[in-house]
Amino acid sequence: MLKILKLILLLSFSFNFSYANEINTKVDQITKNLRCLICQGQSVYDSQSDFAVSMKLVVKNKIDEGKEEEEIYDYLKNKYGEWIVYEPELNQNTFLLWSIPLILFAFGGLLIIRKVSIK
Amino acid sequence: MSNYLGNYSLYIALIASVYLIFKSYLDANSENKYLDKNFILITSIQTIMITVSFFSLVAAFVISDFSNETVFNNSHTLKPLFYKVSGTWGNHEGSLLLWLLVLSIFLFIFLLNSRSQDTKYKLLTILFQQVIISGFLVFILLTSNPFKMLYPIPSEGLGLNPILQDPALAIHPPILYLGYVGTSIIFSASLASMISGNIGDKWARHIKKWVLVSWVFLTIGILLGSIWAYYELGWGGFWFWDPVENVSLMPWFCLTALLHTVIVLQKRNSFKEWTIILSITTFSLSMSGTFLVRSGILNSIHTFANDPSRGLYILSFLFILILMSILIFFFNQNKISNTAKENFILSKETAILVNNWFMMFFLSVVLVGTIYPIFLEVLNGSKISVGPPFYHNLLIPFLIPFLIFMSFGPSLKWIKDKLKKFNYNILIIFLVSLLISYVILTKTENSFLLSIPLIVLSIYLLLVTIKDFFVSKSSISQKISHFGFSLLITSILLNGLFSNEFNSNMKVGDERIFNEKVVKLIEVNVTDVDNYKSLKASFEVTNKNSSFALYPEVRIYQQPLTITSEADIKTTLFSDNFLVFNILKDDGYYNVRYQYKPLMIWIWISTIFIGFGGLLSVIRKNEQKY
Repeated sequence: MLKILKLILLLSFSFNFSYANEINTKVDQITKNLRCLICQGQSVYDSQSDFAVSMKLVVKNKIDEGKEEEEIYDYLKNKYGEWIVYEPELNQNTFLLWSIPLILFAFGGLLIIRKVSIK
Repeated sequence: MSNYLGNYSLYIALIASVYLIFKSYLDANSENKYLDKNFILITSIQTIMITVSFFSLVAAFVISDFSNETVFNNSHTLKPLFYKVSGTWGNHEGSLLLWLLVLSIFLFIFLLNSRSQDTKYKLLTILFQQVIISGFLVFILLTSNPFKMLYPIPSEGLGLNPILQDPALAIHPPILYLGYVGTSIIFSASLASMISGNIGDKWARHIKKWVLVSWVFLTIGILLGSIWAYYELGWGGFWFWDPVENVSLMPWFCLTALLHTVIVLQKRNSFKEWTIILSITTFSLSMSGTFLVRSGILNSIHTFANDPSRGLYILSFLFILILMSILIFFFNQNKISNTAKENFILSKETAILVNNWFMMFFLSVVLVGTIYPIFLEVLNGSKISVGPPFYHNLLIPFLIPFLIFMSFGPSLKWIKDKLKKFNYNILIIFLVSLLISYVILTKTENSFLLSIPLIVLSIYLLLVTIKDFFVSKSSISQKISHFGFSLLITSILLNGLFSNEFNSNMKVGDERIFNEKVVKLIEVNVTDVDNYKSLKASFEVTNKNSSFALYPEVRIYQQPLTITSEADIKTTLFSDNFLVFNILKDDGYYNVRYQYKPLMIWIWISTIFIGFGGLLSVIRKNEQKY
């Protein structure tokens, strides 16, 4: 179950276009997905606080070291906790988060099929 | 003086509330044919008292009466008059007083507007509405009294968060509250109609106005908040999926579903239970919105109150209201006369069910995304962030079927429609939208798989809704709103696809070349204005054959010390050029962020269309025909 959901989500991730051209560099792309921990409701990319500035440097250094995007997220999650990434990963904790809306959608579909006569 | 006046009028309003609760309860159980004249009288006294209370707080803000704690905490003598006034609701205590004011005014208007309704139904509506009003009155008097006195009287106030000193934000809360609070009437009225057993087409026609009014205010309220976030918060986006934004979007989805369902109730006299459930849910969401924002559980930029006792009160109050409505629902379900009707697959009823299906899905995504992190943290201590990528991944794929349904659903007939012969118009429109999309998509380098069907379908829907203006028989208000919605989706998609930006550190004299444009920082002027210090930069953006200037600003406020960035935006019908800068520690360097955002203005205009359609439906009398 978890695997199928993962696959579906992975597919939709690869289609995710919403930021498209905005992202010119890898650093921007990554820092947009990071929460600025000392700000209120801002991403690292959007913030100019000391924390955000040093985070941008950390991400830049990691890229220069040749690290992949996922490795950088993992490194930051180890250091600051899962809270720092805006996209919650799929695991035991977040299984329900990703699946509740999909289950409700399927359930709603069934209700409508029952209510409607196909003639 | 105004402190005493404001405070005691709230107590009088509370007494009126208690009286009305008992009186309406007793009268509802007797067989009185007419509404006692006292109801209108006492309700108007209550409304006047709350109005007096509200305006005495406004007066305290205007004259900077720092003996009032709320004024002391949120105002300052140097503040411009307009923001002194809007400061009244720019804080926790004042905003609740505004909630209360709107609650009582709405009940008053309801009473004036429903003379032809059944007496028992009116009495019960008053009862439930007064339960809500008294709940808010007690809440204000116990935990958030805006008229607390300070002694000795301070000579100067602490000031209002400068980021909130903005015209869009000054009127955003009142408009949004009109929408939120409008749902309370729908809630009270639907419970009352359940008990009195008058739920049906006649009731639907009567309550539809309230649904429309709340929906219009909610739509415009969300729009204003979004516009504010766009130019004030400086990230250049119009929606960040911030919990406080989500909280206003959730009742909107629910109300949109209700708006469609109530039409089925009116025309076909069915979907009765579902209408009640949606009414209860919409109000619960509006209330939990207040709860989530006010309690400070949400980590959000907009939250300006952190006080657990307040949160606990609203949570219990909300719990009682929801429990009460569930009990009423189950004990009165048998009163709903259900003339079970068959729903055929090709019919407007089914199309509206499908609309509701998607609205509930969108709602569930936003609801789960907003509250899941809170529950997870309470349950096992793990802290996660649910940000834009979550919402985009779950919502965007579902837009595809939604747009398809929306392109033909509204033109289906009631009861049963037939499959028509092949319609060449539709084929032509589809081919035209394919062609337009092709031209658009060749202009962008990175096209992702999902964006192709989305662009095609949104343009297709846009063309269909334009065609409907000439062909379809449905009401003009529906055509305008649906056209607005398709324009909104199209603008958001194209905006997302074609936006680009650069982010760079520059000093005076520097130039950056970006997408064939040259952006030059010419100078930075420092001046002292009213209550802040201003750094105004002047930039020159040179295109191939034209150039324009942009003047973003950084403001340094002293009371309290806050630095804000005011973006400068050059808006045309085709695109926005958005420029914002920040001070850096390295002397002489500024962080500059320049964004090119196509069709930005159409996102606002299309939302106005959506709301305007609703407004038209409220004021037009012959709408009932459709």
